[in-house]
Amino acid sequence: MSEPRLVEIRRNVFKKNDLLARELRQRFTDAGTRVISLVSSPGSGKTALLEKTLTALRGRYRVAALVGDLATDNDAARLARAEVPVRQITTGTICHLEAEMVTNALDDWKLDAIDFLFIENVGNLVCPSSYDLGEALRAVLMSVTEGEDKPRKYPTIFNSADVAVITKIDLAAAVEFDRAAAFASIDAVRAGIPVCEVSARTGEGMDGWLAMVEGSAPVVHASRNDRPSDAAYRER
Amino acid sequence: MHELSIALSIIEGVTEELEERGGPKLHAVHLQLGQLSGVVKEALLFAYDVACEGTALAGSRLVILEAEGTALQITGLEIDG
Repeated sequence: MSEPRLVEIRRNVFKKNDLLARELRQRFTDAGTRVISLVSSPGSGKTALLEKTLTALRGRYRVAALVGDLATDNDAARLARAEVPVRQITTGTICHLEAEMVTNALDDWKLDAIDFLFIENVGNLVCPSSYDLGEALRAVLMSVTEGEDKPRKYPTIFNSADVAVITKIDLAAAVEFDRAAAFASIDAVRAGIPVCEVSARTGEGMDGWLAMVEGSAPVVHASRNDRPSDAAYRER
Repeated sequence: MHELSIALSIIEGVTEELEERGGPKLHAVHLQLGQLSGVVKEALLFAYDVACEGTALAGSRLVILEAEGTALQITGLEIDG
């Protein structure tokens, strides 16, 4: 038997997903559907933000959502309260959504009849970063309750995102959230990424987020220095 | 279990590459792994061995070449012939 030989190839491990995501992106573009995905750790407020977002947009646009979880359809049931089409993707043991799951979940939905499609990923700051879902905008959420250094701890997901959203700002004072440190952390891993600061509960900051979603956002950038100090939160 | 998903993607890709080459025996897969890829080397090595069982990749080694950035790319196959 001959000696093994080395064949050099170049094949991205995510090739199949990337191809499917490219097909999805083309379908979304052709149909005029703007697709926004939300990623964060569990409990950062993806579903709460999404519920408010769907409710705010549904009067003016045709909106729909896909929501991923390992198990249960609790989130889909909760989002259905916004009275828009919602489908749950249950991933079983898989810790992230893949383009193929999105393709399958869309099934018979007519994209021509959807202006905005939201995809809520599985709560996870590691795995979703590698899987393109064909979205136009990927938002990574971090809540004020989970530590200002999240971006530094999970740089890959922040690098894969198009916008960072700081959530639950109504709780900032209670948890002594250090706003400057959070912005510095975001800036350290992804200088220049737009940042939205929102409270789904009080509605604060929702206008900026919705403008971002609609693609017409005058946004604050993490690298800009002229932002108010974090005292602005404590005074509330 | 992120690394298991990654291992399954590697197997899928390598299986295709082997089929294109007439199904030679595989000895090793070379993988470039970026530091920022979010993939843990040790966990991937473990998942690879488990996931390869019963496939054309069974018994092969995964040779990980650490790199900068987010790369996760199959760069070589050690095959017979």
